Amino acid sequence: MNTFSRNVLSAAVGAVVLVLGGVAHAADTVKIAVAGPITGPVAQYGDMQMSGAKMAVEQINAKGGVNGKMLEAVLIDDVCEPKQAVAVANQIVNDKIKYVVGHLCSGSTQPASKLYEEEGILMITPAATNPAITQQGYRMVFRTIGTDDQQGPTAGRYIATQIKPKKLAILHDKQQYGEGIAKEVDKTVKAAGIQPVLFEGISKGQTDFSALITKMKKDEVDFVYYGGYHPELGLLLRQSREQGFDTKYMGPEGVGNKDISAIAGPASEGLLVTLPADFSTDPANANLVKAFKDKGQDPTGPFVMPSYSAVRIIADAIQGAKTEDPVKLAEYIHKNSFQTPIGNVAFKDNGDLKEFEFVIFEWHADATKTPVK
Amino acid sequence: MRRVLPEALLAAVLTAVLAVPIFGLRIHVDGIDVSLDRTPTPVIVAVVVVFLLRLFQEPLRAGWARARLSITWQHPLADALRRTRRQPGYRALPWTLLLIAAVVWPFTASRGAVDIMTLALIYVMLGLGLNIVVGFAGLLVLGYAAFYAVGAYAYALLAQHFGLSFWLSLPIAGALAALTGFLLGLPVLRLRGDYLAIVTLGFGEITRLLLNNLNVLTGGPDGIGNIPRPTLFGLEFGRRASEGGATFHEFFGIDYSGEHAVIFLYLLGLALVVSILFVIDRLQRMPLGRAWEALREDEIACRSLGLNPTVIKLSALTLSAVFAGLAGAFFAARQGYINPESFTFIESAMVLAIVVLGGMGSQFGIMLAAIAITALPELAREFNEYRMLAFGLVMVLMMIWRPQGLVPAVRPRLELPERSEPAP
Amino acid sequence: MSGSSLLEFIQQAINGLTLGSIYALIAIGYTMVYGIIGMINFAHGEIYMIGAYVGLLVITVLGLFGVDSISLILLATLAVSILVTGSYGWTVERLAYRPLRGSPRLVPLISAIGVSIFLQNYVQLGQGARDVSMQPVLTGGWRFGPEDGFQVYLSYMQVLIAAVTVVSMTVLTLFISRSRMGRACRACSQDRAMANLLGIDTDRVIALTFVLGAALAAVAGVLVSMYYGLVNPFIGFIAGLKAFTAAVLGGIGSIPGAMLGGVVLGLAESFASAYLRTEYKDVVAFALLIGVLLVRPSGLLGRPDVEKV
Repeated sequence: MNTFSRNVLSAAVGAVVLVLGGVAHAADTVKIAVAGPITGPVAQYGDMQMSGAKMAVEQINAKGGVNGKMLEAVLIDDVCEPKQAVAVANQIVNDKIKYVVGHLCSGSTQPASKLYEEEGILMITPAATNPAITQQGYRMVFRTIGTDDQQGPTAGRYIATQIKPKKLAILHDKQQYGEGIAKEVDKTVKAAGIQPVLFEGISKGQTDFSALITKMKKDEVDFVYYGGYHPELGLLLRQSREQGFDTKYMGPEGVGNKDISAIAGPASEGLLVTLPADFSTDPANANLVKAFKDKGQDPTGPFVMPSYSAVRIIADAIQGAKTEDPVKLAEYIHKNSFQTPIGNVAFKDNGDLKEFEFVIFEWHADATKTPVK
Repeated sequence: MRRVLPEALLAAVLTAVLAVPIFGLRIHVDGIDVSLDRTPTPVIVAVVVVFLLRLFQEPLRAGWARARLSITWQHPLADALRRTRRQPGYRALPWTLLLIAAVVWPFTASRGAVDIMTLALIYVMLGLGLNIVVGFAGLLVLGYAAFYAVGAYAYALLAQHFGLSFWLSLPIAGALAALTGFLLGLPVLRLRGDYLAIVTLGFGEITRLLLNNLNVLTGGPDGIGNIPRPTLFGLEFGRRASEGGATFHEFFGIDYSGEHAVIFLYLLGLALVVSILFVIDRLQRMPLGRAWEALREDEIACRSLGLNPTVIKLSALTLSAVFAGLAGAFFAARQGYINPESFTFIESAMVLAIVVLGGMGSQFGIMLAAIAITALPELAREFNEYRMLAFGLVMVLMMIWRPQGLVPAVRPRLELPERSEPAP
Repeated sequence: MSGSSLLEFIQQAINGLTLGSIYALIAIGYTMVYGIIGMINFAHGEIYMIGAYVGLLVITVLGLFGVDSISLILLATLAVSILVTGSYGWTVERLAYRPLRGSPRLVPLISAIGVSIFLQNYVQLGQGARDVSMQPVLTGGWRFGPEDGFQVYLSYMQVLIAAVTVVSMTVLTLFISRSRMGRACRACSQDRAMANLLGIDTDRVIALTFVLGAALAAVAGVLVSMYYGLVNPFIGFIAGLKAFTAAVLGGIGSIPGAMLGGVVLGLAESFASAYLRTEYKDVVAFALLIGVLLVRPSGLLGRPDVEKV
């Protein structure tokens, strides 16, 4: 047994070294890496990113590709871990892929974007909203989604001018995204003269919020802003109603997901959400929405259309600039505007969208939403 | 043969019970509608496979045993290693060859591979460090990531606030981690066995939570970005030099290539690993190293021989923390960005797995295991969903087939030369 | 203490006790396995997660058939969940731990970590990484206190959780102290080799321990899916870590200790969240653990083990 398993083992190690040594690819396609979480706790957001990007690639290829070449989406899993994101970025450099749609989490986008910038790889993130990503002076980095410091103030202003709560509580999930937005909201309402009575973080994956709810009930909180994702907010809503704490809640686009109604049920009625304008209801996107539905995919997720648009922009730029050189493409993208499902987009100097509007929606128990004027 | 059929049926029923709720019925949530998807195929396949395997267990086993008997090829490399090991003059030879190979390798390999190996080197450092407490001193520590985090944050913060370079920060990171280890060790080392494991687990979690909560100091969940890369005697590896700096490629008049930085990091990691190996190798032969192992074997005997267990345990924990601190600083340099997510309990568990898989106490085995644990999941990245599944399975199978680890530890020992003539 | 802060205190105690009951149920699995084979079964959290999935699944199936009697739902769900989860407990022990009997202490620990990673990804493969959720089966409760002020709310579900926990614990205690198999269990935890010599089939006892632990984890899983209504493949990890902490806090190896540890931990989290800041509740929980172990090195109810030459 011993010699046998040692042999197997050494063979395995040998194989590792061999495979590590040389990876070769040969196919005449334009490869676009789609880097995001395929496994792990946030895989469901990765699904949105992947389905949007894949759909764009399919539709562009169906129309003959770009400059006669077919696009190929290379899906790569970074599990949303910074450590793995660096390895993924190096692998992308290694495989000579020149365009990246991703990453999804701000924490993994940040270290990866540094590598892309240095190696001249074009990166468009459809989902990472942390402002810091585009504050590094990079030229190769773009994003097709609004930032936390656009979304937070939108929510904050609405709270300060429309709701005018007497006792405001701001909660967040102690993650980069959630806490980032919560801080922006906090800043905005404070500037408007509202002092939140509570600014606290829960932990990701927490399921029991009864103690926190009791505390807010005792403090007679009359409005709650929550920065984070839908699973925790769904449970918060549900347990709040259960305890008879009937305050209105508000959250960012991370909670604006059909699942929140699945979790919170009737308690999700009346929830306020800041979202990018709903691209799936835009009549111009009717065909695209139908294409998603035909494949049994959900086009309403917040990252689906931005991800689709990111691929679209890369393809249009290659077509327009008549080159595949990512550095030239980046300059082209900086200078031009593109017609995409998220509207006619142009980029600021730092790679952020020139215009990206967040709209406030009221959520309903049947997982639909209506815009609040 | 009569008893086999009912047993096989029982196994098949058990498989059905196990598989139906996970693979046979899927809960499908679409908006607020919950429905059930019935997917009988995987269940049926699993049941049939288990039934057949169980039914033909005896002939299969016999066949397997015969096949194993026929393969009796010896392992030339392992044999050679074993033989040279015994001869004091040649002891260093395989190591030297290995080192030369490790130094030359990055210049021939692809960038992605070098980067993954750099990551593996970090785990080698962590594994070697944890091995001191777990392998040598026999203390189970489940919060090793805490020391790793201290090292990483030490470098990140020193670079951010005081502009200290990697080379200056490295010893400070080690020292801070050592201090943490020492302070933690003082009260908790009198706990025995698994209680110590749990307290260190708690300590590891507290450290991570504090890093996440103390926004003012650590940036909270935002982490710390823009951590400078290490320099080579002041030469930077970026495309453009920072103010007042010079870059490596300009200095040597060669074209810029991102690979330089990657290879440099790898070589730096390798240098750190080699020095750690050297230090540990020496320590192991010193009275201190022997005291660790003696303590692991029998604490009461140690005490009766006048050794102070607390001091010995404390020294093991402190030293092991130093290496985690160094690995942490190096990790921060490789990433350029750190946040508390990188220092979870899973990280501690992985390092422990490396130590055990490698064969507790064995330096070479730990290196192999660290490389296997980091590189294998990376290679299997295409199999996304199955990657971690297989990883968990391999861990279990390894423990069943080779519980002593890849390369079991060999204690340093002296052998008396065989007597040529019988004693008078 | 003013009236409303007293009421708040009571409410927080109720919250803590509910949470603590769940922790206690999971903690029993850790403590029993440790008591008998001295191994930390890291995969136990995953077993609980599977129990929660099965619970959700059965309730959904019953819902599709239009069953709405709460006692029927509870009994059916518990029965199915215990059967499936118990089978998982048995299979895991048989395949991943039994072959390691007699190897050094760390070997089964690593195997358990492997099982835990495996099961997490296995369920993810089968059911997807997304959260699955369902609406509460049992709603409503009692309110106490002034009409216009702070009211203490005690939901039926909380009462149910406490009741099921007490019943399960009682059954388990009776089983351990009165039945033949229970006696064998106790014998094994005192001295396994000796028990073996006296004709106890220790392998069977160990398997039984795993099944019993898994059954209680299934009870916790079902209660959780009824109470919170949200399950994903990753819930086992956090819950497992907490429950394990609870088991050690109470004194690992001691069944009443696991119950006490769970309740203490639940209360500590609840009060930390209430009177400190929510983000420090886990810090408080782990600090409490370290503090208790420093004062009482073998936990609240653990027997101090004397080392003999």
